[in-house]
Amino acid sequence: MYQFLHDKVADAMSDRPLTVSSDTPLAELTRLFDQHDFNGIPVVDAQQRLLGFVTKLDLLKAFRFTPEALIPPYAAIMAQPVSTVMTTEPVCVTEDMPLTRVLELMVDLRTKSFPVVRGERLVGIIAREDLLAALRRATA
Amino acid sequence: MSRRIRIYHHPACSAHDTGPGHPERPARLAAIAAALRQPEFATLDWQEAPLASFVQLTRVHPSAYVESVLAAIPSAGHSFLDGDTVVSPASGEAALRAAGAVCAAVEDVLAGTIDSAFCLVRPPGHHAERAQAMGFCLFNNVAVGAAHALSLDVERLAIVDFDVHHGNGTQDIFRSRPECLYISSHQSPLYPGTGYPHERGAGNILNLPLKPRSGSQEFRAAWREHGLPALQAHGPQLILISAGFDAHARDPLASLYLDEEDYAWLTGELLAVAECHAQGRIVSALEGGYDLDALAASAAAHVRALLGI
Repeated sequence: MYQFLHDKVADAMSDRPLTVSSDTPLAELTRLFDQHDFNGIPVVDAQQRLLGFVTKLDLLKAFRFTPEALIPPYAAIMAQPVSTVMTTEPVCVTEDMPLTRVLELMVDLRTKSFPVVRGERLVGIIAREDLLAALRRATA
Repeated sequence: MSRRIRIYHHPACSAHDTGPGHPERPARLAAIAAALRQPEFATLDWQEAPLASFVQLTRVHPSAYVESVLAAIPSAGHSFLDGDTVVSPASGEAALRAAGAVCAAVEDVLAGTIDSAFCLVRPPGHHAERAQAMGFCLFNNVAVGAAHALSLDVERLAIVDFDVHHGNGTQDIFRSRPECLYISSHQSPLYPGTGYPHERGAGNILNLPLKPRSGSQEFRAAWREHGLPALQAHGPQLILISAGFDAHARDPLASLYLDEEDYAWLTGELLAVAECHAQGRIVSALEGGYDLDALAASAAAHVRALLGI
């Protein structure tokens, strides 16, 4: 367990994470969620600068009842861009952050994954599974 | 002795086809009818609904609107009047029968041939504004019936609306008619985005919004503390009900948590006011309710309360 106290985000994160752009339609986002076992995907611009984070919960929120329609209009919602549902200021972590702190943050916020940033640029993502794997490695 | 209750219905209302999978579907009427055909309801008097007349409709809708709705009915297939509101070849007759049912029921209770009526009809009506079809509704059935009553010898009436969605159409039609009190409890925020307490009309509109996930306690408190006292104070000679059952906990289109006992309770309270001021005269018409089992059980509880049993 001592090893875990020394582990940093860089030791456990996935680098080169899957990303989407802010104009990706929700239909494409749905397809990515179907193909990959991710709960959330970072939203970046062409320079890999982090613009936001979009999760399955954000996608579900798009289908909540609103005053505009009795029945949520599925096709119109699926054509909306990711920018309409993403969190624009997600909680981020940095590569040098201790995993113990990430674990605390994850439990407190009930978040499933955090983008990892260097300045404005996205460099990775760290998820619950990564922390569990680091714990396993640290105690093997 | 139980009260004399008439059920207005018509096969045309079941022929109004909204397309595959649409929640406002013919099976809704069949589910309620099956419940009301049980032995405990043997005294119900079933009557086919007449067509509403042009004169009846144009008391609340401009004539150009009535003509445009009927002209929008396709000779085959389906047409969308808005994203939610679908019509097909039988929809025109269904809409005319739905409004006609409420008018006939009003005449019956005023003549004293029955005590109260339940109009088992669709399309529903309370979202239909003076000149706008929306939210599954073409003509505002209850508003057409209320205007019909006011054209006869009723000077003061009330419309009670417990559908989970606010009756924007009814409010629109009667907002400057103080002789008609409109009281609505509904989930807010939710479609159609109206129904806030500051919308008071000529002092004759009372909106009782309920937060998502509200249940029996909040619903009954709103009616006990605000809705029923206002109704008593108005002293209506006739009560019309927009009876939507989609605030039920099992309904798929909203997030309130009522059960059939809540509908029985409110109906009983409304009957008490009607017996005090209106010789027990209540005309109720179906609006929403999209879980067939919950709908049938709730409508049965409502009619049982109308019967006074």
